[in-house]
Amino acid sequence: MRILIANLIAKIARMTSRLAKRGGGTTLPGLLAEKIAPNIITKLANQLPQGIILITGTNGKTTTARMLAAVLEANNLKVIYNSSGSNLSRGIASCLSQNSNLLGTKINGDIGIFEVDEATMPEITKKVTPKIILVTNLFRDQLDRYGELNKTASIIGSAIKRVPESIVFLNADDPLVASLKKYNKNVRYFGINDHIETKSNGAIDSKNCLECDHELRYEHRYFGHLGTYECPKCGAKKPKLDYGLSNLRLSVEKSIANYGFSDHKILLEIQLPGLYNLYNALAACAIASEMRIKDTTIQDSIKKVTAAFGRMESVEVGTKKLFLLLVKNPTGFTQVIETLSYDNKPKSLFLLLNDKFADGTDISWIWDAELELLNKLADRVVVSGIRAEDLLLRLKYADFDLGNVMIEKNVEQALDLAFANIQEGETLYVMPTYTAMLELRKILYNRSLVKGLVE
Amino acid sequence: MNKKLTLAHFYPDNMNLYGDLGNIVTLLKRCQWQNIDLEIIEIKKTDKIGLKNVDIIFLGGGQDQGQKIIADDLLSRADMIKEEIEKGLVALTICGGFQLFGKYFQTAENERIPGISVFDCYTTAGQKRLIGNVIVDTEQSAKEWLPTAEFPHYKPSRTTLVGFENHSGQTILGDNCRPLGKIIKGFGNQGDSKHEGGVYKNAFGTYLHGSLLPKNPWFADHLIALAYFRRYSVEVMLHELDDSVEISAHEAALLRAETAKTVSI
Repeated sequence: MRILIANLIAKIARMTSRLAKRGGGTTLPGLLAEKIAPNIITKLANQLPQGIILITGTNGKTTTARMLAAVLEANNLKVIYNSSGSNLSRGIASCLSQNSNLLGTKINGDIGIFEVDEATMPEITKKVTPKIILVTNLFRDQLDRYGELNKTASIIGSAIKRVPESIVFLNADDPLVASLKKYNKNVRYFGINDHIETKSNGAIDSKNCLECDHELRYEHRYFGHLGTYECPKCGAKKPKLDYGLSNLRLSVEKSIANYGFSDHKILLEIQLPGLYNLYNALAACAIASEMRIKDTTIQDSIKKVTAAFGRMESVEVGTKKLFLLLVKNPTGFTQVIETLSYDNKPKSLFLLLNDKFADGTDISWIWDAELELLNKLADRVVVSGIRAEDLLLRLKYADFDLGNVMIEKNVEQALDLAFANIQEGETLYVMPTYTAMLELRKILYNRSLVKGLVE
Repeated sequence: MNKKLTLAHFYPDNMNLYGDLGNIVTLLKRCQWQNIDLEIIEIKKTDKIGLKNVDIIFLGGGQDQGQKIIADDLLSRADMIKEEIEKGLVALTICGGFQLFGKYFQTAENERIPGISVFDCYTTAGQKRLIGNVIVDTEQSAKEWLPTAEFPHYKPSRTTLVGFENHSGQTILGDNCRPLGKIIKGFGNQGDSKHEGGVYKNAFGTYLHGSLLPKNPWFADHLIALAYFRRYSVEVMLHELDDSVEISAHEAALLRAETAKTVSI
C-alpha cells in the first residue's frame, strides 16, 4: 500500500514538475517516494529480471552508463537508467518509480543501470544487491564535500563489502581503485596496456602504495595517477587485466583501440575524443562481455554512441559550431586540454567557473589544472561565471596573452562575445563547470539550439 | 645581473592538496616581474639537501595519508629548519603543513603525529570539518612583520587576505606564536571565528588555500621582500606592478565570502 501511495505521489510530482517546467523532475519525485515508502528502491529494483548495475567513481559515470545502455539495448534488453547527474538515492528512486506500475508489482524494464554518487554508495548497497558494480576511477573532486580521496575510497569499500555476491569491476590502472579488492574478492580488472605518456606534470592525486606507503614507480603514466605502476618496496603492482585496451590511436575527433579479453580481439572505435572516453568505453565493453554479449554487437553499438550531456557535446549554431567540454576537477580539466592539443591548431575558448554546491564551492583546483598547456593553443578567450575573476587570474599566471582575453560575468552576454570571436565554419570550445553548463544549456535551449534541457 | 632567490618546495608529491601550485607559480612570476630569478627546488622524502642556499620554504596541505608519510622525514630535518627559521628563513606553510610545523597533530583516532615545533601551537582533530570562504584581517600582525627601520619604503598595499578553508583540525596557539590575523568571515584556527594562522619570526602558517598567494599579491610580495632582505641585507625596491587582475579577484572573493554559505560537516 505504501508503495502505491509513494508511486502515485512520485508520478504526480514528476508530472507537476514537468508541467511547471521546473526541470526534468528527476529528483523530487524520488525524494517524496522514499519518504513515504523507505523500501521503495529495494522493492522496485528486485522486480528487474536482470537486476541492476551500479556505476560509481569520480569521472566517467554518465558517459559509461550511456555506452553500456547502448550496448545492452542493441542486445534487445530494455534498460532503465537515471541520467543527467541525478545520482543520489532520490534520483534512483525517481527513475524506478517512473518505470513501474502504480502497485509497484511490475517494472517496465529488464535491467537497471544507475550512476551513483560515491558517498551514496553505502546507502544503495544497503537497499539492493547489484548484479555488477563498476568503479571508474578516483580523482580529487569536490573535496569540500567529501573530505579526502582515501576517505572516498573507504566509503566505496564499505559499500562493496556489504554485497559479496556482486561482481565488482575495478580500474586496474588506478592504484586506489585497484586496492578496493580488499573489500570484495569477486573482482574483474580492466585497464590499458600501451606506451602513451601524458604531457602533464602535475595533479597526481594518489602516488603512494596503498600497502606500504612507498612512492609508486610508473612505467607509463596515461593521465593523472592512472598508468602502469609498481611499488619498488613491497612489489605491489598493477593487477593483471581481465579486460584490456592496447594500441591506442587518439585524435580530437575520435578514438580507436584494440580491445581484448581471454582469447577475443576486437577493434574498438568510438566517436568521442579523449583517453578518458576510451576508459569509459572499455568499462562498458567489459561489463557487456562479462554478460556474454556478442563481440560484433558490442563493436557496432559502441561506435554509434554520442556524447553525454555537455561532455564533448557538439552543437551546431548556423554555420558555427560549439563544442561543450564539462570540466569538474583538475585531472578532468587537464585531460580536456590534452585532448584539444592532439592537433596543434589555435582555438577560440570560452571558460566558465561557478562555485555553487554542485560545482564544488572551493575553486582552488583551477590552480592544479595545467592551463599552462593551453596558452599556446588559445586564440581568443572569453571567461565568465560566478568566479570569472579567479579564472582570469589563473590565465594571467599561466602566461596567457591577456590582450586576447575578455571577461564578462553575465553568461548570456559572454556567450555572444565568444561567438563573435569565431568565423563561419569555426568551432568555439566551451569549458564550463557543472552549474555553468546547465546555465549555458538553458540559454541554448531558449534559443532553440538544443532540443532538451535534460537528456 | 638579476639577483637570485631559492625556494624549497617540500614534499610536492604528498602535500599538494588544494591548489598549492598556485602559491609557487605566484612567487615565481612575481619574482620574475621584479627581475629576480627564483629557483625552485623540490625536496622529496629522503632527499639530502641542506638549507644554506634556501631563502623560502613552502609546505602545502596533504591528506592524512600524505601527512603520515612525510611526518618522520620532516622530523629528521627539524633541527636544520629551526636553526634557519631563527635566523630569519622565510616559510609559508598551509593547512596540513601548518599543523606539522606546530608541536603535534592529534588525529581522530587519538594518534599523535609529532610536528617540528617551529610554531608554538598544537592541533587536535575536531568533530566537524570547517569548510568555506574566509576573510582575514592581518593589520595588527602586519605592523610587526617588518622592522620598519630596515624597510623604510615598504608598505603593504592592503592587509586583508582572502581564501578558502577546509580542515577538521583545531589549532591552539601558545604564547610564542602570534596569530596571522583576525577572522572577519570564516571559522579560523579553532572554529570560533576569532583567529587565523600563526606567525613566528618569518615563518607563516595558515589554513587559507584558494590558492592563497595569487589573490593576495601583497602577501606574496611581503614574503619576497623578507627573503630578499635576509639574503642581500638591503631592502628590495619592488616595482609597482599592474595588479588589477589580482585585485579584482581579491574583491570578488571578498564579496563571495559574504554571500556564499559556509558549512561544517
